[in-house]
Amino acid sequence: MNRPLRATSIVLALFSANPLTAAVSIGNSNVQIGGFFSQGYLKSSKNNFPFESKDGTWDFREMAVNVSTTVGSHLRVGAQGFAQRLGNYGEDKVKLDWAVADYNFRQEIGVRAGRIKYPKGLYGEALDVDAIRPFIFLPSSLYNPVLRDFSASFDGAMIYGTISTAKAGSFDYKIFYGDIAMNTDQGVADFFNDSGFFADGVKTLAIDHVSGAAIDWSTPLSGLKLHFSYSKLADVDGVGPFAAAPMFTALIRVAPAYTTIGAEYAHGDWTFAAEWQNQDGDSLVQALPVYNSAGKYGSRNYYVSATRRFGEKWEAGAYYSKSRDLHPNPSATTAEKQLEDYAVSVRYNVNEHVILKVEFHSIDGRFNVFNTPRNPNPTLADSSSFWAIKSTFIF
Amino acid sequence: MKTISRSLAVLALLAFTLSAHAATTVIGNKNLAGEKIDAATLKAVFLGKKVAWDGAGRVTLAVLKGELADEFLKATVDMNASTFTNHWRRLSMTGGGTAPKFFEKADELRKFVADTPGAIGFVGPASVDGSVIPINGG
Repeated sequence: MNRPLRATSIVLALFSANPLTAAVSIGNSNVQIGGFFSQGYLKSSKNNFPFESKDGTWDFREMAVNVSTTVGSHLRVGAQGFAQRLGNYGEDKVKLDWAVADYNFRQEIGVRAGRIKYPKGLYGEALDVDAIRPFIFLPSSLYNPVLRDFSASFDGAMIYGTISTAKAGSFDYKIFYGDIAMNTDQGVADFFNDSGFFADGVKTLAIDHVSGAAIDWSTPLSGLKLHFSYSKLADVDGVGPFAAAPMFTALIRVAPAYTTIGAEYAHGDWTFAAEWQNQDGDSLVQALPVYNSAGKYGSRNYYVSATRRFGEKWEAGAYYSKSRDLHPNPSATTAEKQLEDYAVSVRYNVNEHVILKVEFHSIDGRFNVFNTPRNPNPTLADSSSFWAIKSTFIF
Repeated sequence: MKTISRSLAVLALLAFTLSAHAATTVIGNKNLAGEKIDAATLKAVFLGKKVAWDGAGRVTLAVLKGELADEFLKATVDMNASTFTNHWRRLSMTGGGTAPKFFEKADELRKFVADTPGAIGFVGPASVDGSVIPINGG
């Protein structure tokens, strides 16, 4: 069976599936099983963006299964496996997305340890949970799906809690430290490969540590939430043979810090959101003893979005998103220094478990549009577009 | 005459208000009898921020689907049913919490609450019986 037929068969099978029970009780424990499967189709014009899709591709799917349970009154443990295919990225390989032991002492303080979702921005922790929004793709300026490994989860520990006040609303805080398991199978490798600095691509990816904090303020104004987060990736290293002379080892090191401010306002059937993010830090490019260059790396990103529900079944949304290179090559054109994304999306809830979406993007610029063997763009256009459809089954 | 009319209007308004509030009743397992559950506690519990009672073990949430849900959730957590479902999908799919148990029928929810220590949920007033305790949340 060819890929489109196989994918269509899968989708049809999901449509005919009976709704599943989301929780299963075993003995005195409470074991919950959940997950999702999505299959999409994506076709881009001119540039392969966000991944290889100029000829149209069914290689666009995500899946996850999680199991969790509680032990006693305060301890919760659980884990989720996740796999995705975005063009030539991911290859459907199952990864441990999160695996936590969470001890909640009281509402004001809890401790979480293990592989933990990375709290960056309003929607960073829920990058993959597309069932909670009308959009297929979150704004790429802050939530680039190809660079998911920079933002998905980390191995370490987190202190969290909620401080409620009588008149000022409530504050959810998170403070965390750990490291990130990055894999050369994932799109993040092309962040390094796009430089053309490595012969046959980067061979290892590693990070010294990630640390940060996030706070969400549920304000006294009904429906208004404000977000602030700061986090820093220390020494993200891509290492491989030097393209110009493969006997030398090449290194690209970046150390971005992310400062993100966001607001979300839900009123009736409408939800408005906006986020601004500054990403900046040092960079180092080496192929000792023949090359050594230190500099800066970063971008300034923001988006505004609006969504509206139409009854129980329909939801529509649109956003404008922009990302701008903070340290471009002096000879870079405007198109090379930035990327603007105009997106419109429509969602239809077939039932509470099956969701259909269709989305169109008009892209101006080519900042972070990669040209690599896995995402070939031998001639990059200054503007392009893509559209996508996606069905998701969630349980 | 004007005073009587005004009084009747006030009584009518009061009756309407009470009936609106009385459309749902929060019920709990009998082991919650000693817990102090005010409106802020209810909100924290239904948003997954408070996961354990002071003396009644782990919180287990039971949520009734249907028309009652929108009214109850709007009043208690300032969300409609769709937003509430998304809130819990987000938590349960990202390792942030244990999702509520959702029920189609009030009788099934009441039985679950009655049989599960630490359980709390909401039903219409007609579905309350002696197997659970009503919680006023005031």
